[in-house]
Amino acid sequence: MTPTVPASDWYSIAPLSIVAVAALVVLLADLLAPKSVNRYVAIAIGAVGLIVAGIDAAYAFHSNYAAFGGAFIVGGFSVVFQEIILIAALGSLVLYGANGAAERIGGTVALMLWSTSGAMLMAGAGNLMTIFLGLELLSLGLYCLCGLADRPTARESALKYLILSSMASGFLVYGMALLFGASGSVALADLTNPGLISNPLFWCGAGLFLVGISFKLSLVPFHAWAPDVYEGAPLPVTAYMSVVTKAATLAVLARFIYAALPTTIASEMLLPVWIVAAVSMIVGNVGMLAQHDLKRLIAYSGIAQVGYILTALAGGTALGMRYAIYYLAAYTFMNLGAFAVAALLSGEREEGTRLANYRGLAGRRPVVAAMMTFFLLAMAGLPPTAGFLGKVLILATSVSAGYAWLGATLIVGTAISLYAYAKVIRAMYARDEHAHPHDVRAVAPLAWISAVACCIIVIAMTFYPLTPSNVLPLVR
Amino acid sequence: MLVLSLVLIPIVAGLGLFLRRGEHPDQSKAFGAFVAAFTFVAAIAARGEEWSFRWLSRPFESSFHFGTTSVSFWIVLLLALCTFCAILATNVPRTASFVAQLLILEGAMMGVFLARDLLAFALFWDLMLLPVFFVLLGWGTHAPTAWRYFIYNFAGGLTLLLATAAFGVLYGSTDVIGRADVHLVGAWVPWIFAGFAFAFLVKTPVWPLHTWMPLTYSDTPAPMVAVVSAVQSKAGLYGLIAIGMAFMPDYFKAYAGIFIVLGVISLLYGAFASLTQSDAKRVVAYSSLSHLGLIVVAIASFNPLALQGAIVYIIAHGLFSAMLFLVLGFVESREDTRSLRRLGGIGAANPKLGGALCIAALAALGLPGLAGFVGEIIILIGLFQAGLLWAVIPALVAIVLASAYMLRLFQGIMNGPNVADLPVRSDLSWIEGLAIAPLVLALVVLGVDPHALTAFDPSAYNTTTSQGVTR
Repeated sequence: MTPTVPASDWYSIAPLSIVAVAALVVLLADLLAPKSVNRYVAIAIGAVGLIVAGIDAAYAFHSNYAAFGGAFIVGGFSVVFQEIILIAALGSLVLYGANGAAERIGGTVALMLWSTSGAMLMAGAGNLMTIFLGLELLSLGLYCLCGLADRPTARESALKYLILSSMASGFLVYGMALLFGASGSVALADLTNPGLISNPLFWCGAGLFLVGISFKLSLVPFHAWAPDVYEGAPLPVTAYMSVVTKAATLAVLARFIYAALPTTIASEMLLPVWIVAAVSMIVGNVGMLAQHDLKRLIAYSGIAQVGYILTALAGGTALGMRYAIYYLAAYTFMNLGAFAVAALLSGEREEGTRLANYRGLAGRRPVVAAMMTFFLLAMAGLPPTAGFLGKVLILATSVSAGYAWLGATLIVGTAISLYAYAKVIRAMYARDEHAHPHDVRAVAPLAWISAVACCIIVIAMTFYPLTPSNVLPLVR
Repeated sequence: MLVLSLVLIPIVAGLGLFLRRGEHPDQSKAFGAFVAAFTFVAAIAARGEEWSFRWLSRPFESSFHFGTTSVSFWIVLLLALCTFCAILATNVPRTASFVAQLLILEGAMMGVFLARDLLAFALFWDLMLLPVFFVLLGWGTHAPTAWRYFIYNFAGGLTLLLATAAFGVLYGSTDVIGRADVHLVGAWVPWIFAGFAFAFLVKTPVWPLHTWMPLTYSDTPAPMVAVVSAVQSKAGLYGLIAIGMAFMPDYFKAYAGIFIVLGVISLLYGAFASLTQSDAKRVVAYSSLSHLGLIVVAIASFNPLALQGAIVYIIAHGLFSAMLFLVLGFVESREDTRSLRRLGGIGAANPKLGGALCIAALAALGLPGLAGFVGEIIILIGLFQAGLLWAVIPALVAIVLASAYMLRLFQGIMNGPNVADLPVRSDLSWIEGLAIAPLVLALVVLGVDPHALTAFDPSAYNTTTSQGVTR
């Protein structure tokens, strides 16, 4: 006898199904469309799929529904993360319009869409199996995407990502197996059972699980892969990875922290996570100082920014969750904006991410330099950007939740990062008559639009800090 | 809305000017001067007006709340005036971008002084550091200067931010500047106060946090440094009065001794250092350290009279330091040097330039009849009244030294044998004259009739009473 699945369960996964189906349509269209326009066809279909999925997902914002016996939970939390993932995917897709390799565009877009549906699955995952399913769906697409560029570093990037990420998955799945052994169930809801506290299997399982998650979030000391992988991957893929994987993994971690631990021991059990966050804030920002490539710089910056987001989650307060989401959204737009500006300086074969190319940029292209300055200042947390307000909110919530030491670490980390970001800004504004770097001028209206849109959104978020209220993660 | 336009219009105008293509030096200057003149008129019209827009309701209440307080009104006028004069006096390459930076700086500092909300204050505080940093990068001659400025001041900005967040969490609202009923108590308050105080003392600056200042002041082009030394350095003093003294008076009083000692060291150190400098702009930079040290002492004395004197002196110092830097800029643009060793004897052939420097130097050394004297004498009487005799005596020494270093500066440039090797030079042009005329006028008017300024009521800032509502 097969259990019947009600139709509403299928509706609840409609957004990610739409994205997955859009990928198939892209592949079909790629076969049929003439070569001259296939780039635009693929991107247009992908963009429409993402937007439709976004609209469909938004309808579920006020719902609270556990589909497939609690395997997939729809609610404010999952919807907000899905929207962030969809926006990031759309932003990265648009960058392909600017300077992706034209010949493989159909497959590339399809892979990116499938990865996106995996990330969306993680955002709503309510049991260990769904988490793993979503994570692998996300990662498998990315392994291919990383190796797409025609250069040796791309192959290095793909291989490194494959090996290290598989190892992290190994940690994760082994941890899940131990958690299953301890609780006798794959549901996250069964992990809240206080009887588990005395079970060593539970502690080992949770530890391995958190190690796997830290690997995927590239938290120190599991961060070393991120700069190399980011550097080798094509620019749009780097933009995608820097936001989507982090958003999806943070959704899993936030659900685990908030809802899937016995409440009595949550604070002591999570102390290592906060320590890792504090170390990431320092090491990530110090690591930025020595970088000569924008992608590596953003990789290290991302390590620190995830530390900031975890600072908001420390203490497990409802407000903290809202500010973490606020900062994640701000991080999404400033990262996408910075990559869009880099895309303006990139060609199909050559990416304008070497920081040497930015020397004296303000003299040659003042508006591009001004926008890059704006996004770097936003990442550094200077006004008038959402990065500034996000840091204020995180500071306030960490102080009131009793984690003032994390707030102080955030301040120290920010002080270090200011120097690193300002170094790039200084290079752009330096008067250097001798340097004649090779500038690529991409004719990319889409990248312009996305950079300007990110600029406006990052400013608007500062003055209208919307933080939705029903975003507490739930388990069933 | 008028009060909001004071903040927004210079920033928008500056961004517009920045993004405009092509070099139009005269047009840019005319446009910038027009915007600055508008803000001056609008600031007078907007006195007492308030504008508020709810920003955050969690984790603490915060608004974009702008309006003048009894202190900030005069500083805002000073800011508009100095920006106007500085834009007229601008004589640098890439004029349009430079004027744009001056306008953005004006808008950001308007935000600092008009903010009635601590978080908005902190936002504009960080924002006002950026134009100076960009000018140091683009027009400065010495890259480490920009870093020194950036690191010192942003370190201050970050502690200000942390203190603001903690203030908000503790009190539940940051919409407090200008309110007299807010008192903070609790174990955390000394730390919050320390965060604010660090930012303010770096910005002012006082010894030993001053080491960014002489470099910045000598390396920044004259029009920008005129605004920075006249107004930006006052942000720290304003913060001490409007935040430290208003919300944490008990803690400020407890640590007032430290402030007085630092102020006395600054005023002596600045005066002696000023005597030995050979760079003309550094002479004025160190004299600023000395004068601002006196104001810090006056504020920390918690004497109402000294506090009134501090307000007068804040405005007076703004006027004469702006004028000194502008005139030194004129000299530098003619002679291509600021070194006192390579300058001399300019006054004979350039009577107007000599006269301008003379007026500025006399105002700085506290000649009766000009605004600087009024501030100094009220502060000294107030300090005497407060029984701080041990602070009055070094202050007198510094005032005597002020005559020495200001006359040394004047004589070094204007009198003596003509040592310059550049044959062609002209006296003040009419536009340069127009740039400093409003400052001279203000110095004389305030020197003769300072009553408008002394109408400031210090009791609004908890100097005499220490009771209030806490929550």
